[in-house]
Amino acid sequence: MIASDLLARREPRRTSLRDFDLVLSGAVIGLLAIGIALVYAATRDWFAANGLDPEYYLKRHVINILIGSLLAWGTTLIDYRLIRAYTPILWAIGVLGLILVLIPGVGATVNGARAWISLPGGFQIQPAELAKISIIVGMALILSELTGNQKYPGHKDVLKALIVAAIPLLLIVSQPDLGTVLIISAAVVTIIAVSGAPTRWIFGLVAVAIIGGFTAVQVGAVSEYQVKRLESFIDPSADPMFSGYQLRQARITIGSGGLTGTGLFQGPQTNGRFVPEQQTDFIFTVAGEQLGFLGAGFIIFLYGVLLFRAFAIARRSEDMFGRLVCIGVIAWFGFQTFENIGMTMGLMPMTGVPLPFISYGGSSMFACLIGVGLLQNVHIRSSR
Amino acid sequence: MPLSTDRSLIEKRIHLLVALSLLLFLIFSIRLVDVQALRSSNLMAKASNELQKTSMIPAPRGAITDINGVDLARSVLSYRIVVDQLLIYNPKEVAKLAAPILNMDREFLEERLTGERRYVVIANRVRPAIWRDLEKFISNYNQNISSERNGYAKRITGFWAERLYDREYPAGRLAASLIGFTNDEGKGASGIEYSLNSLLTGQDGAYTYANAAGAIIPGTQEILTDSIPGQSIKLTIDRDVQWIAQQAISKAVKKSRAISGTVIVQNPKTGEILAHATFPTFDPENRQGVDPLRYRNLSVEEVYEPGSTGKVITYAAAIEEKKISPESILTIPYKLKRYGKVFKDHDFHKTQKLTATGALANSTNTGAIKIGEMLGKEKLYEYLKKFGLGTATGSHLPGESAGKLAPVKDWSGTSLPTFSFGQGYSLTAIQATSIFATLANDGVRVAPTVVAGSTSASGVFTPRSMEAPVRVISSDTAEKMRLMMESVVGPNGTAAGAAIEGYRVAGKTGTAARYDSLCGCYKGYTASFIGFAPADNPAFVMSVTIQGPKGVYYGGYLGAPVFREVMSYVLESRNIPPTKEASTTYAINYREYKEKISKKMEEKKKESGSSPRG
Repeated sequence: MIASDLLARREPRRTSLRDFDLVLSGAVIGLLAIGIALVYAATRDWFAANGLDPEYYLKRHVINILIGSLLAWGTTLIDYRLIRAYTPILWAIGVLGLILVLIPGVGATVNGARAWISLPGGFQIQPAELAKISIIVGMALILSELTGNQKYPGHKDVLKALIVAAIPLLLIVSQPDLGTVLIISAAVVTIIAVSGAPTRWIFGLVAVAIIGGFTAVQVGAVSEYQVKRLESFIDPSADPMFSGYQLRQARITIGSGGLTGTGLFQGPQTNGRFVPEQQTDFIFTVAGEQLGFLGAGFIIFLYGVLLFRAFAIARRSEDMFGRLVCIGVIAWFGFQTFENIGMTMGLMPMTGVPLPFISYGGSSMFACLIGVGLLQNVHIRSSR
Repeated sequence: MPLSTDRSLIEKRIHLLVALSLLLFLIFSIRLVDVQALRSSNLMAKASNELQKTSMIPAPRGAITDINGVDLARSVLSYRIVVDQLLIYNPKEVAKLAAPILNMDREFLEERLTGERRYVVIANRVRPAIWRDLEKFISNYNQNISSERNGYAKRITGFWAERLYDREYPAGRLAASLIGFTNDEGKGASGIEYSLNSLLTGQDGAYTYANAAGAIIPGTQEILTDSIPGQSIKLTIDRDVQWIAQQAISKAVKKSRAISGTVIVQNPKTGEILAHATFPTFDPENRQGVDPLRYRNLSVEEVYEPGSTGKVITYAAAIEEKKISPESILTIPYKLKRYGKVFKDHDFHKTQKLTATGALANSTNTGAIKIGEMLGKEKLYEYLKKFGLGTATGSHLPGESAGKLAPVKDWSGTSLPTFSFGQGYSLTAIQATSIFATLANDGVRVAPTVVAGSTSASGVFTPRSMEAPVRVISSDTAEKMRLMMESVVGPNGTAAGAAIEGYRVAGKTGTAARYDSLCGCYKGYTASFIGFAPADNPAFVMSVTIQGPKGVYYGGYLGAPVFREVMSYVLESRNIPPTKEASTTYAINYREYKEKISKKMEEKKKESGSSPRG
């Protein structure tokens, strides 16, 4: 099957609102709305108290969402099978971004990681976030166009797919941005698993990922960056146990919310900025403190709705490429959400990944909304 | 489609993934319940421990005002600026920027900003405007620097202010010894500030706030108990009268090169004191290097022997006991010998015949001794007690002395004659004033007071509690005494200088040997004049007491001008109508008395002669 054939066979049709999966969109819009409130709540009072613009983060967050929504909408316009035809180019762009960010002078170092490319107008872009999409479509392409005439991918296909993933992954490791590496690794294993690849590969890769991740933490590839990041935020004498501070504060903050929370903008833990990176990686603590169990539970519920709608789209997809793209996006969203929330609740090791749709951060927001665009794209083009 | 046949394995794996996701959701939900519901209270407590601080809301101390509500002492808001040195990253820069605003030495400030101490006071008693300037400056500075690259870390943090109240004394040295001052902890240390400390002190409140890196987290302040401001005290003092009195006594003490002097102006009917001036005084706001002895309120703390002013008790007692009348003729020798001791008058004179009035006007000691002897020990003692000697007046001024009055059983042979002319016992200026106030108030003693009442924070005024007045002598005796004492201020009296045109003035001078506790001997004099006006219906009593004057030391000479100056002002400012000449006057000496009698007889004759005609 070649893209041009498909184009020839199918009438290009206009998509209407009804063609979208409205439940999926609703869940995303719900998460975005909560995110706007939480980013504002995490930053307003502190910024005001320090004589800064209290709406600084709010404004930028809303702009990010608007741009992201446009990108998502754009993603749904082109049939995903056409996207498939341009996959090599998308992949190459992703890799190029990751190479550019490593060039001194182009990539900016923030919090110890050379992960940002500065754009004019004070904006910055994080190529690793967008590389997630490149890797997912790239692997989906390889694993849906199998060599030979087999039902399921063979060793050769899996190896090819792994190479497609490994090149950008190694570039991200060298930044280093281990949180993103972890998320992409989870997506890679999931895509390979769902593609129907031999079970040995799945277990083997899971084992490699666990061992690799464990050694990375132990060896200290993580620690210097983490500690540096903490030092810039923590009151120097508040707690000598740096590594424990963030987690402890995160849990105290979530726990102090109780059933209904302290109310938006009301949390002393949040307003005191006891938890560093509160508008980005630790935003779930704001939800826990200010919205309480009910609010935090509702957020988890919305993620549940999002993921299970995505599963339905994946299952209904008419081709392997569409299905694997969906599975890749599901694995990415799901694992990033679990990692982020799990870290704040002490279930997962601490890595700096944003909470999809809620955390402040342009690149992550763009990538997540493009991901939603991909899910909708597959949904629109599936028979129902 | 080939896909449909492939479904089985892929479907299975998707199902497995869904199941895995469901499991994860379950685990997360359980964990969320665990953290937020089951361990919530524990974590909440931890959160508040992490943050919660309790701070005091200082209550302002009540003001002390004069009778018209003019502030004599007040509490004004001020700040204590504190820094957390750990939050100051660039002390040199911060000191350079903040020093001019705080009007501090840059190097000194830099030193205070450098280190690892988390609570360093850099300035006390900072006016609110200055703290606001500093806050505004920091806020502007931070806003500017934050827009710079990596500017967030260059922000100035670590400054905060504690609200305090400072005590101000707008009247300065005026009435300083009466009002007193507060110590560094804001507690009254002397004067009214000390004696009424519990009324003036408010109740500090408390508030809790969440604290992060030395700053209050916005929206976390919660008042536990509000502060209750202290009650304000309204004094009976009139600042203007006080000022005149202060000026007059200062001038007199300086001019006579005396040790000290006091003036008390009192309303005899109510006991309310309008002026209570002492010299030397001190500046309550700048007490550095001031001898603590100066803080004493001499009018109530210093005791002295009254001398001639004390004679009024002897005379009043004798009239009350009907031993004499104002015109009783007394034979007054220059000197009298009693129990081996010779008592003399201050100026030599031939033995003369004076009326009791004349004896008082001339302030003869021998006359007083003779009258005292008519009374006897017991009676004299009784009246000395009745006039309030040996007991504090009830003014409730701190440190008030009761004076010294030995009981009769301890009296020696010379005690009666000595006590009769006002030596041998001691009193305070406020007691001396009270004696004259009793005569002015028709023989009823009213406890003197400087406090009119107190006003609570909610504005409720509570008048002072008044002690029951005590009748000491009959109103008739008091009236006779007043008339007799007018002759003191008369042209032949010892205090002619106290006369005020248009008003009848009565009084008594005193020039007493001053007991010096330093040498345990009599050294120097106490010059005093106590009087009241108008004499027929006294509105004000005033005492002038000057301790240890050099040069001319007569009470009339030193005290009378002060009396005249201050009393003129008081009478005028209070719109006291001028009084007519006295309708009756007492004869001063035997000659006058005889003339008066014969005049009367003539009149009587005339009357009896003319009545049949009319």
